[in-house]
Amino acid sequence: MITIALPSKGRMKDDASAIFEKAGLKIVAVGNDRSYRGRVEGLDDVEIAFLSASEISREIGSGSIDFGVTGEDLIREGLSEADARVEFCARLGFGHADVVVAVPEIWLDVDTMADLGDVAADFRARHGRRLAIATKYWRLTQQFFSSQHGIQLYRIVESLGATEGAPASGSADIIVDITSTGSTLKANHLKILSDGIILRSQACLVRARKAEHTGDPLVAKIIDAVNGALA
Amino acid sequence: MPLINLPAFAADLLADFERLGTLRVDTPVIQPAEPFLDMAGEDLRRRIFLTQSETGENLCLRPEFTIPVCMRHIETATGTPKRYSYLGEVFRQRREGGSEFYQAGIEDLGTRDAASADARAVADAVTILGRLLPERPFAVTMGDQAMFEAVVAALGLPGGWQKRLIRAFGEQTQLEALMLRLAKPEQVAGLGAEVEALLAKGDEQGLVAHIDGVMEATGYLTNASRSPKEIAFRLKEKLALAGTSLDPGKLDVLREFLSLDVSLRYAPGVLADFAKSTGLPLQAAVDRFDARVAAFTAAGVKLADITWRAAFGRPLDYYTGLVFEVTLRNDHRVLAGGGRYDGMLTLLGAEENIPAVGFSLWLDRIEAVRGEH
Repeated sequence: MITIALPSKGRMKDDASAIFEKAGLKIVAVGNDRSYRGRVEGLDDVEIAFLSASEISREIGSGSIDFGVTGEDLIREGLSEADARVEFCARLGFGHADVVVAVPEIWLDVDTMADLGDVAADFRARHGRRLAIATKYWRLTQQFFSSQHGIQLYRIVESLGATEGAPASGSADIIVDITSTGSTLKANHLKILSDGIILRSQACLVRARKAEHTGDPLVAKIIDAVNGALA
Repeated sequence: MPLINLPAFAADLLADFERLGTLRVDTPVIQPAEPFLDMAGEDLRRRIFLTQSETGENLCLRPEFTIPVCMRHIETATGTPKRYSYLGEVFRQRREGGSEFYQAGIEDLGTRDAASADARAVADAVTILGRLLPERPFAVTMGDQAMFEAVVAALGLPGGWQKRLIRAFGEQTQLEALMLRLAKPEQVAGLGAEVEALLAKGDEQGLVAHIDGVMEATGYLTNASRSPKEIAFRLKEKLALAGTSLDPGKLDVLREFLSLDVSLRYAPGVLADFAKSTGLPLQAAVDRFDARVAAFTAAGVKLADITWRAAFGRPLDYYTGLVFEVTLRNDHRVLAGGGRYDGMLTLLGAEENIPAVGFSLWLDRIEAVRGEH
């Protein structure tokens, strides 16, 4: 039995179902159409679980499902060493969103990560505290700042919503957040650094790397069918 | 409760600490997490064991001893100089080895003679290791942030560029990227006509007023984060930095310095030759370097066991001078590591500047090496 987890609501659910249907894997709900279980017409060995996007990332990490459709950002944020644990089988062309570093527009002197590095290094001496970054993307922020740009000295302020408001309200200096059109950032007078795109994310079909998948024709068939629908 | 999983040689180690005239201290296993995250940065968060108190305070299991020992020193306010020793469990998430293990070490706070204090730290580390692992040949790798800073200053770069390079010291890829950028000046564009006009006129007050006005209009507090004055000041500095480049000759000099990797026996001669051939004014820094080498000899450290690597450093802002690591010869496991961290105590809240140097011993690795013998 192969389990595929799909987003349980909204545009993501509709777009994911549409791609699967185009791939010849028509999904039908079990019971009524608000059920959290489904199956694929004509494939008895596949079951569909409708989960929230962040649950899908967690379940795929623990290997309790075989495939999932969720945002690359959630996979890379949720799992350490994501590429060793899951395979990105297909990028599905919807759910586009970038994870970006954004600073107040009025920081005229800050346009690049190098500028931000200068500001972060002096921050403690000037303000008696480290530069504060509001985000819910702890892992992506740390990797981008520390490993890619050598910026160590900052503090993350956990943000559970309305991250873009943190700089104006004074609860953080800058943010790392997700944006699709940039309009929310603009409305909050924030600008994306020119080299501040951490990840260009979209919805992906991901597979948990499980030993029993090797040589399983059903696994190969699902991957091929979805990729075929995208071609 | 007496600990029964202490390394077998713990008693010898404590006797050594006493013989060396140190004051043994203990610190709680459960520590406030903020000082560690503040000092070492967010990267540490993934490697420590964090929890929260009922009131929401971030707590962690002690990931190392230096910060707790320094904080204890500040709290007890018993004056300097002090040489503290410690032996206890630390907790870290590691790729190799267990996540709870023993560390021991010495922190020397407030000794003004930096050269002798540095030498004593290295000598103590090597002596203690020598007693725990008799007849085994050690290799000490040593770096010196102060020497790198002196070279960067002598190249005549603006202060902002010096700071960038110093920040990347010890991170070879970051340094390389900065040196590539330094090969040619950059353009700064997109500031808008009004700001560019103010900059062209050199109207700093006008610029500050403009920034202040925009912040007011867009609902930004001018005192919660960076102030209009700070932004205006760094904008000017940034334009100066962007316009800066180093001629290829000077970049070669910097690269040549970073490639120096010699036995400490020959390091003073190599440095003198480097200063002479490049014509850089490095006398004061070279004198300090040589004084430390002399202090090593006086402390009985065998210079032949020490390699000085010019590019060896740690990119954290409280390390200021010597850094060193001790391994067995031809073995990568670091058995002891330490350095000078003159910047730390003021960052932790000490009112006066307290010079500090210390080292820690990785007892689990030492135990493993003893087992292999």
